[in-house]
Amino acid sequence: MKLSLNWLKDYIDPKLSTEKLMDRLVMAGWDVESRQTLGSDTVLEVEITPNRPDCLSVLGLAREIGAITGKKIKYPKIKNYKPTSNTIPINIEDKKDCSRHIGTLIREATVADSPAWLQERVNAVSLRPINNAVDVTNFVLMETGQPLHVFDYDKIVGGKIVVRRAKAGEKITTIDGVERALDASILVIADAQKPVAIAGIMGGKDTEVTFSTKNILLESAHFDMTLMRRASRRLGLRSDSSYRFERNVDWPGVLVGANRATDLLLEPTKGHCTARTDAAYAPKGSFKPIKITVDEIENLLGLKVTLADLKRIFTSLDFQVSLKGPSLMVLAPSFRGDVKQSVDLIEEVARTIGFDRIPTSLPQIRAQNLIMDPRPAQIKKIIRETLMAGGVDEVVTLSMTNAKDLAKCRQENLKAVRVFNPLTVDQQLMRPSLLPSLLSIVAGNFNHGQKNLCLFEIAKRYFHEGEKTTLAVLLTGSRYQDWRLSRKEQMEFFDLKGALKNVLDALGVDVSFQASQESFLDEACRSALKLNGQALGAAGKLDRSVLKNWDIKHQDIYFAEIDLETLFVLPQKRRPFKPLPEFPAVVRDVSVSVKKDVAYGSIEDVCRCHGGDILCDVQFIERYAGDKITPGSKGLVFSLIYQSPKRTLREEEVYRTHQTILQALNTKLGATLR
Amino acid sequence: MHNFQQIQQQAREEAQGLSDVKALGAYRLKYLGKKGIVAEIFASLSAAVPQDKAAIGKAANDLRALVTQWIEEKSKGLAPAGSPLAGQDAGIDPSLPGTAAVLGRPHLLTQTIDEIIDVFEKLGFASIETPEIETEFHNFTGLNIALDHPSRDAFDTFYLDQDDPGAKGRRLLLRSHTSPGQIRIMKEHKPPLAVIVPGRVYRPDAVDASHSLMFHQVEGFLVDRKVQFSDLKGLLMEFCKRFFGSSLKMRFRPHFFPFTEPSAEVDISAETLGIGKKKWLEILGCGMINPKVFEAVGYPSGKYTGFAFGLGVERMAMLKYGINDIRLFYQNDVRFLRQF
Repeated sequence: MKLSLNWLKDYIDPKLSTEKLMDRLVMAGWDVESRQTLGSDTVLEVEITPNRPDCLSVLGLAREIGAITGKKIKYPKIKNYKPTSNTIPINIEDKKDCSRHIGTLIREATVADSPAWLQERVNAVSLRPINNAVDVTNFVLMETGQPLHVFDYDKIVGGKIVVRRAKAGEKITTIDGVERALDASILVIADAQKPVAIAGIMGGKDTEVTFSTKNILLESAHFDMTLMRRASRRLGLRSDSSYRFERNVDWPGVLVGANRATDLLLEPTKGHCTARTDAAYAPKGSFKPIKITVDEIENLLGLKVTLADLKRIFTSLDFQVSLKGPSLMVLAPSFRGDVKQSVDLIEEVARTIGFDRIPTSLPQIRAQNLIMDPRPAQIKKIIRETLMAGGVDEVVTLSMTNAKDLAKCRQENLKAVRVFNPLTVDQQLMRPSLLPSLLSIVAGNFNHGQKNLCLFEIAKRYFHEGEKTTLAVLLTGSRYQDWRLSRKEQMEFFDLKGALKNVLDALGVDVSFQASQESFLDEACRSALKLNGQALGAAGKLDRSVLKNWDIKHQDIYFAEIDLETLFVLPQKRRPFKPLPEFPAVVRDVSVSVKKDVAYGSIEDVCRCHGGDILCDVQFIERYAGDKITPGSKGLVFSLIYQSPKRTLREEEVYRTHQTILQALNTKLGATLR
Repeated sequence: MHNFQQIQQQAREEAQGLSDVKALGAYRLKYLGKKGIVAEIFASLSAAVPQDKAAIGKAANDLRALVTQWIEEKSKGLAPAGSPLAGQDAGIDPSLPGTAAVLGRPHLLTQTIDEIIDVFEKLGFASIETPEIETEFHNFTGLNIALDHPSRDAFDTFYLDQDDPGAKGRRLLLRSHTSPGQIRIMKEHKPPLAVIVPGRVYRPDAVDASHSLMFHQVEGFLVDRKVQFSDLKGLLMEFCKRFFGSSLKMRFRPHFFPFTEPSAEVDISAETLGIGKKKWLEILGCGMINPKVFEAVGYPSGKYTGFAFGLGVERMAMLKYGINDIRLFYQNDVRFLRQF
């Protein structure tokens, strides 16, 4: 809302410098967004919150300034024009849509340019002067907040006004020259034949007042705020009028606006007011006084107030106040529809006194009865700390994706939740996978020459059955660099597995890495993560086709996604203390050759199965291929560690068990010693 | 059979401990001498069972190679016995970079949220996360935001192509603020409550340097008997000073939110933040919880009062670190990530 300070001074002189006035306005809840000098005038852009349509006017803000400065307001003198016996036929089809419509007919008017003072005011609020009729309506709109419209009465067919919903197929060309299609969701002002204005939003071109107009029909009305809001959205058309109607205008103010505009129209146009009709359906349920006590205010604000303070504040805001025992009965004026309960009155007090006058205290925070599971937060913290210690950077990416990117990740089969009103096609799905987001981050970093990336994100994936907190890890490029090593090693699957293993060990969960069918992962390098047989996620090298789709060349990418919801609900196990071994361990290294398809895991399983109670650990040492290994086989070296918590092991019992294990490896897996 | 791992480990440790040339000579003799350990292992071959022979031979060869390598490495840096430089690497260039495993960095947004949570947890608040996909009731109606009221403008919302199973004909939505967390928690729990709700929120704003369709907020609220506006002022002042520094100046100015009454916006002084300009910067919205909200969650009328506030995480981080483009948070350029 533009506030011209010269205009303001017509009603009140705050006797403050512009800076001081701006500061007082801001501290009373009227944020001043900018300030502009216009000749001798200063125009402030004041932000009016949606609960205060009464301040979308110079007089409304003058009243507020009066309350905060204690200065008196001089309201303009307005004549009251009574309805005449000579009526204008006004037919309101539904009083819910339009609860008041005042028509005033001014005959034998001379439409011309407005006088200088009026043009100056209109210019000050960035409107273009049109003529002495239209300018008056704009002036009164800005002065009182009541939107108005003038018609060329001779162009109103049948001389009658019908307030009705538009019919399907009806059209109107509005004063901005645009033809607009109407429908039953839009309220119009019509004459005997056709719509002549879109009610509350904009008038029609055909009936606008021009220099050749002789007889002027002035409209001042009250339209339903919800209806106005919807129509304005539907048409994509907003105006100073619709902005006020959407926020609701003051019902009694409809008459004030009509009278003020009539006064101002008669003088420059030298016309005669020949008819006035007031079609009015007063709103039901008039305002009731609200009870408030000093204690109530002091308890909520922590600020001492007196009855005298309260009376002064409420009176200055045009509230009516009466004493009832220890309470005040406060009646809000009709234009303060926002004041409905006692806290609304308390707000007026706090605002007018100033929030800076309210003292500060620290609240006493009592013990809480919240029963909440601390596990999710703990788990996320452990994961973040473990991954960061392993050199993985955290990222935060947007929660949306799109079908194209999912397809590029070969994840088009994932069922995603759609956004009904996306901003762009790129963001029409809530992501069911973190992969597309992470790959776009990778692409961005590659473009800036950052080729070695270790990234993770803990965020939600979205499904029709709900949100799932998920961990994604992505590794690509060379491992961290040590200048003492000559060779730069590229990261591979076991770097990813190691990072995940660190996390899972830190969480104390035993996850197995099994065969996977995920098509976005390379079939030669992928694994499904299972926890007690339950799917937890997948890890592996991204399939070549995925990299190609994302235009990533010369570099492999390793990616894992783990569902954390499963981990959040796991029963928390405490790992019991194991006494330190008192007796020495016997370590036997084993070097075997097995067929390529024998998994190392199955060797460990066989060892443990036949190790009796003296095999306490199996440790992998190395894997090798080479000319000493027959084609189709691989060499594996590992240590078997024998130890007993109760005694020193004898050489021959270790020998016996060791032989049993070697035998079993041979018969079950075809492993031969090398 | 020998425990080769153990022998190798010991040899490595001994090599590391060598401090002068004399000790090095003794070490060489111990492992590689005619009667040294390597020779002894080779000697044991003849007595070993046939299937062990290969492993023993390999182990002996490996050990010899390693010990030789260590001796060579060591001999370069060692001073003669008794010299003042004994025990030091005489030839190193200490200006060469040190080496260590590289650490990953937490995202600045997580750091900021953690910092905010940390301050409030110390002041007695519990941090709870609530869903991002919400109902109209939690996001609007329960918060006294009428479905068809202009106050909804500020909370423009993404809706989902999915119906709310609890409200016929209404769609689910992406929460446009973290305030629905208030409704969820108050519906489930009776006061006293002191809670913060951090998380992602969504608004269909065209993306530019200061707008993003997704950003983060931290909602906070305290509900009990006799909570006062002065408590709200005191708590937020304490928070801002801990977060931005104790010289910070701030002001509370009246504003409007449907879910609080009175409502305020809090500005901090750019000057006291060290950004130089004589300007107030808005950082958060707050107020005393509107009785209509208590009514919506089924609290008895008049029994409780409380306050609520909501702060924008990106904004806090941008002000604190002088970041001028919100998009940097989501681009995740590692050159950005590793600065924090």
